[in-house]
Amino acid sequence: MQEADLHDLSDDPDYAASQQQALGRSLYRSDSAKSTEMDSGGGGGSETVYVKDNVAIHPTQYASERISGRLLLVKRDSSLFMTWIPYKLSVGGTDSTGRSSNAGILEKDRKLYTIKDVPLADVHSIRRHTPTLGWQYIIVVLSSGLAFPPLYFYNGGVREFLATLKQHVFIVRSADDANVFLANDFQDPLQKSLSSLELPRVVSVANGATLHGSVGALSSVENSERRNGDMQIATSSSEYSGRNKHKLHDPARDISIQVLEKFSLVTKFARETTSHLFRENHNNDSSIHERKQLDHKPSSASTDTQKISSAPVAPDPLEFDKLPLIWGKQRQQPLDVKEWVCFLDAEGRITDSKALRKRIFYGGVEHSIRKEVWKFLLGYHPYDSTYAEREYLASVKKSEYEIIKSQWQSISPAQARRFTKFRERKGLIEKDVVRTDRSISFYDGDDNPNVAVLHDILLTYSFYNFDLGYCQGMSDLLSPIFYVMEDESESFWCFVELMERLGPNFNRDQSGMHSQLFALLKLVELLDTPLHNYFSKTECLNYFFCFRWLLIQFKREFEYEEVMRLWEVLWTHYLSEHLHLYICVAILKRYRQKIMGEEMDFDTLLKFINELSGRIRLGDILRDAEALCVCAGENGDACIPPGTPPSLPLETASLYPQQDQDDI
Amino acid sequence: MASRRRMLLKVIILGDSGVGKTSLMNQYVNRKFSNQYKATIGADFLTKEVQFEDRLFTLQIWDTAGQERFQSLGVAFYRGADCCVLVYDVNVAKSFDNLNNWREEFLVQASPSDPENFPFVVLGNKVDVEGGNSRVVSEKKAKAWCASKGNIPYFETSAKEGINVEAAFQCIAQNALKTEPEEEIYFPDTIDVAGSGRHQRSSGCEC
Repeated sequence: MQEADLHDLSDDPDYAASQQQALGRSLYRSDSAKSTEMDSGGGGGSETVYVKDNVAIHPTQYASERISGRLLLVKRDSSLFMTWIPYKLSVGGTDSTGRSSNAGILEKDRKLYTIKDVPLADVHSIRRHTPTLGWQYIIVVLSSGLAFPPLYFYNGGVREFLATLKQHVFIVRSADDANVFLANDFQDPLQKSLSSLELPRVVSVANGATLHGSVGALSSVENSERRNGDMQIATSSSEYSGRNKHKLHDPARDISIQVLEKFSLVTKFARETTSHLFRENHNNDSSIHERKQLDHKPSSASTDTQKISSAPVAPDPLEFDKLPLIWGKQRQQPLDVKEWVCFLDAEGRITDSKALRKRIFYGGVEHSIRKEVWKFLLGYHPYDSTYAEREYLASVKKSEYEIIKSQWQSISPAQARRFTKFRERKGLIEKDVVRTDRSISFYDGDDNPNVAVLHDILLTYSFYNFDLGYCQGMSDLLSPIFYVMEDESESFWCFVELMERLGPNFNRDQSGMHSQLFALLKLVELLDTPLHNYFSKTECLNYFFCFRWLLIQFKREFEYEEVMRLWEVLWTHYLSEHLHLYICVAILKRYRQKIMGEEMDFDTLLKFINELSGRIRLGDILRDAEALCVCAGENGDACIPPGTPPSLPLETASLYPQQDQDDI
Repeated sequence: MASRRRMLLKVIILGDSGVGKTSLMNQYVNRKFSNQYKATIGADFLTKEVQFEDRLFTLQIWDTAGQERFQSLGVAFYRGADCCVLVYDVNVAKSFDNLNNWREEFLVQASPSDPENFPFVVLGNKVDVEGGNSRVVSEKKAKAWCASKGNIPYFETSAKEGINVEAAFQCIAQNALKTEPEEEIYFPDTIDVAGSGRHQRSSGCEC
């Protein structure tokens, strides 16, 4: 059983020490010197109302690998904030295993879990666990539906924690479960009624997840297969249920599995708690039926609105925007030349590509070295190639490019007159390159030679991959690549590599887009059920409002420099090949209050999404997406059909199924 | 909310890539022209308030990607359309030849209740280019095709110069109103007003 595993600390040298500490100390409302030091958020009027040491997080199922830290409740400007900070290694001595080689990674992992100044106003509920054997812990669930990992009180004190909370925020014990404490229960009537829109099938998924919570001793393989079973119930389509069997043995995947496994437990707990809460709302709320009826009567819309706005404390959508991220790491500075050369051995090989990809995932790359680094990220240069091999490759590829290019260059005007497909393809490319990023100085002005190069590369590509041809959106994908490479042949081959993954976006049958839109639907269902239910109610489940995001990888949504930053992060495939889908979910979650609060229909939503362009903060969204990706874990993987771009296609034959269409 | 929705007229602009769909929409709604429009990915729309008689309507004009490959998306965007605008470039023969495909594709995907009488309007755009010297589709040819498809109203426009754009969209709006009876099932309180306005107007739009 899970509980037994969790609390079997017989191999833990820290155990005795912490027990002793527990006996000897009682730290809450401790000295103010310490609290000022801890309040890095700072400012004048903050007061620490609760401090507890030896509150730990278990990143794995082994309690011996716990990360101990200090839990604080700080009152600032009459609002209460929760903070949990891991001890530095030397202080907490949690590296009890003595594996010094892992210390660096551990240190980073520890920071990953830091909980920084989370306003209690954002907390939906707290679930208390007081097992007879082992340590008490709590799970804090935020109103966004995300949950922090369980916080284990090695020194006891859960009751005091709750008592302190009760003095400062409105907390009620759930009528359904005496161990669940609902915070801000009055605060979000809309959210609440939406949650209770739960359809029976969704409830069954939640129940399923609860079951799994109690069968933690099963091997992970069994678990994941069972989860697939859940998905099957949820979708009532077995089409993708065999997904795990298709998992590729890709080193990038393996590392992400390692990371994800650390969180699977957390996710399980969170889901268990959430499912309880769903039932909670289900029981309490009866107004939903009224609301449903009102929806069909436009004349009574105004009363409906009143009903929402007359609630005691209306949720402020902006407040939600400020929600601190849970597990998303602080973004780092971009990789610079100095650090970059450290990844290269004497002959120019990248010895630790995982470390490199991780580094880029968290900070991107300085522009000056993009030209070099992107070739690896895109797969044009193998990580284990030497300087000499790359130089050779460049010259071979250059002549290869020239040969393909000459295929269309040699078409005479007379031949072109008899070659409709060529003329149309060329015409389409000509039309598109002159309207691609012309506001960037690199492409602006009349007769800009760089625009001509875009044209040549795209037309050459349409000969290299004649089946796929040219499709609108490709010029958007090529533009930053040539901007970075500044070399026609190199840009072409990098573009070829990118299209190996994104080509299906442009399939005639739109299969690549449809599988991404489907995966997005499943991910939102998993990570934000109320929002999913809202989209279902408003017939928005085709997710076409995200079409532009997906087709060209957010190219139109961010400033040029940010697009390059985002792409290099996506290309690391560090946590997932499909981080871009989690980015979609993250953006939608950021605006969920607005979307549901304003009751946007499909048209309004599409317009709203289109107008978000240029207004999305990349760093925040990347952190959200990372958190969601980690939170979703294997359940998230199971939402994504095999071969969904940018995964490499499943089979190489007939990449671009041809149809008898006139399309060029 | 409810009253605004009642007055909504949904118009879809279709046509080959680069014929000027986005430009026409922007010229009509914002009275602006830019050389810097990007190829439309997915779909977008602009709205404009228009007045007929003493009634206000919101014209919701949908601009979609022009490449045939994206046509399968239409099903989501064409639904509930009140009028479809077919645009071609008078300087590009193929864009005129494709009008028929666009029309048929629209009827398949939008599946209006009365396809025979669904209102289309055809615009021959870019008449300003090289003072009209580069045009390859004559007005006569275009009008003949429009006549053969049940007297579709036809306009020659220049989104760049703003030529005929206002008049074309006036006609488009009036034609969109013709399809309103379907809507009236849901909003019975508007029958009288809409009815009188519609019949007078539809006769005034034989362009």
